Amino acid sequence: MAAGHTEKDSANQKLQFAPFCSALEAGFWHQLTQKKLNDYRLDESPKSIKGYYYNGDPAGLPTRLTLEFSAFDATGPTPARCCPALGTLYNMNTFEAFKSCDKKALLEKEANEIWEAVRSEKVLEDPSLLSKFLLLTFADLKKYHFYYWFCFPALCFTEGIQVVEQPVTLEEKFSPKQIAALQVSYDALCSDIGTTAIPYFLVKYTEEAVLVSPLKDWDTFFQGQKKVTVAVYDPCTLSQHPGWPLRNLLVLIATKWGSAVDAVEVLCFRDQTLQGKRSILHSIMLQIRLPELSQTAGCPKSVGWEKNQKGAMGPRMVNLSECMDPKRLAESSVDLNLKLMRWRLVPSLDLDKVVSTRCLLLGAGTLGCNVARTLMGWGVRHITFVDNAKISYSNPVRQPLYEFEDCLSGGKPKALAAVDRLKKIFPGVVAEGHNMSIPMPGHPVNFSGATMEQARRDVEQLESLISAHDVVFLLMDTRESRWLPTVIAASQRKLVVNAALGFDTFVVMRHGLKKPKHTESGGSTPSSASSTPASGSASDSASASSSSTPAGSALVPGSSLFSNIPGHRLGCYFCNDVVAPGDSTRDRTLDQQCTVSRPGLAMIAGALAVELMVSILQHPEGGYAIASSSDDRMNEPPTSLGLAPHQIRGFLSRFDNVLPASLAFDKCTACSPIVLENYERDGFQFLSKVFNSSHSFLEDLTGLTLLHQETQAAECQARNYLTIRPQPNLANPVGYWPRECIEKYKYISALVQLVRLYGSLVFPRGVSAL
Amino acid sequence: MMSGERAEGAEGCFLDEETFRRCCDHFLQRSQALHDGWSWEQVKGTEEGYMKKTVLGTGRVNISTAQDGHPRAGEVMDAVGDQGQVDDLGDEDTPVPAEGSSVIRFEYHVLYSCSYQTPVLYFRASTLDGRPLSLEDVWDQVHPNYRQRLLQGPWDTITQQEHPLIGQPFFFLHPCRTADFMRPLLQVAHAENRKLNYIVSWLSVVGPVVGLDVPLTYCEPLGSPALPLWHLTDHCLTLPPAGAWQTLHSKGCLNPTAFDHHLISFSFTWM
Repeated sequence: MAAGHTEKDSANQKLQFAPFCSALEAGFWHQLTQKKLNDYRLDESPKSIKGYYYNGDPAGLPTRLTLEFSAFDATGPTPARCCPALGTLYNMNTFEAFKSCDKKALLEKEANEIWEAVRSEKVLEDPSLLSKFLLLTFADLKKYHFYYWFCFPALCFTEGIQVVEQPVTLEEKFSPKQIAALQVSYDALCSDIGTTAIPYFLVKYTEEAVLVSPLKDWDTFFQGQKKVTVAVYDPCTLSQHPGWPLRNLLVLIATKWGSAVDAVEVLCFRDQTLQGKRSILHSIMLQIRLPELSQTAGCPKSVGWEKNQKGAMGPRMVNLSECMDPKRLAESSVDLNLKLMRWRLVPSLDLDKVVSTRCLLLGAGTLGCNVARTLMGWGVRHITFVDNAKISYSNPVRQPLYEFEDCLSGGKPKALAAVDRLKKIFPGVVAEGHNMSIPMPGHPVNFSGATMEQARRDVEQLESLISAHDVVFLLMDTRESRWLPTVIAASQRKLVVNAALGFDTFVVMRHGLKKPKHTESGGSTPSSASSTPASGSASDSASASSSSTPAGSALVPGSSLFSNIPGHRLGCYFCNDVVAPGDSTRDRTLDQQCTVSRPGLAMIAGALAVELMVSILQHPEGGYAIASSSDDRMNEPPTSLGLAPHQIRGFLSRFDNVLPASLAFDKCTACSPIVLENYERDGFQFLSKVFNSSHSFLEDLTGLTLLHQETQAAECQARNYLTIRPQPNLANPVGYWPRECIEKYKYISALVQLVRLYGSLVFPRGVSAL
Repeated sequence: MMSGERAEGAEGCFLDEETFRRCCDHFLQRSQALHDGWSWEQVKGTEEGYMKKTVLGTGRVNISTAQDGHPRAGEVMDAVGDQGQVDDLGDEDTPVPAEGSSVIRFEYHVLYSCSYQTPVLYFRASTLDGRPLSLEDVWDQVHPNYRQRLLQGPWDTITQQEHPLIGQPFFFLHPCRTADFMRPLLQVAHAENRKLNYIVSWLSVVGPVVGLDVPLTYCEPLGSPALPLWHLTDHCLTLPPAGAWQTLHSKGCLNPTAFDHHLISFSFTWM
């Protein structure tokens, strides 16, 4: 160390440098990924890359070396007013190679190159050789984890560098005139050189003038001055410390001119523009005394590996799966799209409720495919299919989850093919398929012990599937197959959404959701629709089933028959029927003719089924929500998404929908108390009786048989009722509405009453016979 | 330099690509003079390009969401550090541990949308290791006034999409309403026979919503002191005069709340 013991106390301070902090643009990793996949592949040889640093940061920002996605173009342009830093990339093929790479040797190699450049004076021509860096990387492209470790090699003075005076700002040191002169001179030098930033330069100043010059002109510029001023383009914003680029410059000066100068003044040049206003006032000036450094002594000690986020010597890792893993991108994009709805259009939308709903789709045909797609649109992740059919050649054009290829060699099972396709459409989906049959009333299973056993297993599986899901969609093509899941879901208090198609008509409905079981033990049977909620009287199933009064005749005073029905009193798919399912010889209801339907119908009905579910989920009472009717279309909607109807009946010929609501029927063959009691008490034993018996078993059980005998007269009444309405066209009573709005709704209400009271009698006979 | 004949017509709220380029060129000249950091990025081997600006700021980043429950960098890395190949080597010359964990880099790209014939603002934000922030995190960096405004404004929709030129995921402000809110600005400028740079006007409206400041100095001639808005008739104009705002309000073209916020933002810039 040069003799400096006469200096003040502050002289004992050693100069400290703010290290570079690596700063990587997201695009850098994208580009590295591309390079690795397309260019480097398994090539681990060093690659030239390029970064830059900037001296115009506002206070508080770290001293950064930035690499953008353009970093791989080492000859490319540097951003304006930034200094380039050339680097070497070592991209390793394996994590092992990354770990075991000899970092010390890499640093020493780089330090030696800098040392050589200093000794050979190559740096004078190209000062950027002083600010080189190393980057060691390993890209785990399966997980999109990037491991990296930067090194900013700096040669060291063993004894450190003595600070002669505390650093001061340029504003304190220079007069405004000098500052302006410096700025002008610097800009002039920039334009001389043809650049917008100069990493190192020399400064001479008097009271009147400030001159600057490139590093290489040292000898002519200073002409033997003992006290010199050098400037470094300083990316640091700290008021007491210079940034990293100064380190190797000082080594250069000490090596080359150390013996010729006594004192070195360093201008840490900082050049900021805020709101269009430029300032270099906050640059700092340092007074230092440089130790001597012999050119012949060999390369000095070097440092430079960057510490990690924990402040320890170690590499860093960044996990970019969110922005690079296509699956994660798909998920976040889907979610973001949905969130947009919430942000602006429906702020109170509870998306989590929808997204987390586990949906069981019974049937993977035209309805099932469309329901699944709409569910995915809503971000629903958990979708399970049950179907026993194989894909046939007619399917793909109507069933959007299948392709021609799926039909070959007998066809793939629908439930499984649908799952595969869902995962292809959106890998984030949790889909499951079950290729199984659902036992049906009137379809005997008692041919052999084996068939009974199979039926028992099927029932058990269906029970456990329904139990494992939140919403059950009934999307089958037969009426009978809906019976068992209706019973099980009613018993398990699961929300059921049912969709069924006619030729150009459809019904989409939610089943009434029975009150939770523990409240029933209070003595009343709420599912018995004939008991008024107010009375709370115990109407046991026996009296209910023996009653010949149609459900709904006992009303809350003041409310009309079909308005304001709470969710637990709503009917199910079978409540409107006065025949038990399972008999295909009798007149089919409208929605039984589903094999032939207008092609757009399944898409409409499937979409509506999902939208109905979503609206119900948004209602604070969920499945217990009071049913909205067509009349409510003018009223304040009960949910953020609008109405919560019981049924949507659509008439494609008229391009019209109506929203009927109907009460649970105490003689319903699926959800009446007596059926549920029998199922819950006797389980498969009861179910197998239903499967193996004719339809009369359920009709006898529920009291429908008795009711049948009373329907004749009522039907006549119904016909009269229809005929006295103004202008109904009896050849087409469904499709034709009187013009006046009020009349229309009256008419619908009347029709709904008829449907409710006489179920299958009205629609098929109304359509076919009249 | 100016938005061209087409854009100044009554129906001219759309921007053709050539005018877009000219507006950008002019904007970039201004930016260069103001050291505002915008640059033109040409896509290699094509005619196409975009304007880009990077802004650094310190902010709150929810590191837990950023890390996303995957193994923390530190845990994995310690194993590597333990190899002991590299130690501190007794470097006493570093003063402070490198900061940077809370530094956020915002990147803004201005592209031309052929289908909407408007400029589009793409943006993303990331920490210094290149990990992008979620939209929620970006949100937290935006001034509350603007957050509210973004929920209501006519420049409403933020979506995630691949950057059409560089193929990386970005957020962008959907241009579907751009023409709507630019129309009155252009009409007023046209009615008062003033020239206006579409990019400056547009960016000064949409930028602040996502944390991008467009200094009012963009509408000043170089070197002159700031002038009140209504004195800017000789120069490129970012904003219509006070009366024009009334016009816009009465036309219902802009959400009044949002508009007020915008004015506030400009008065802040003014200070």
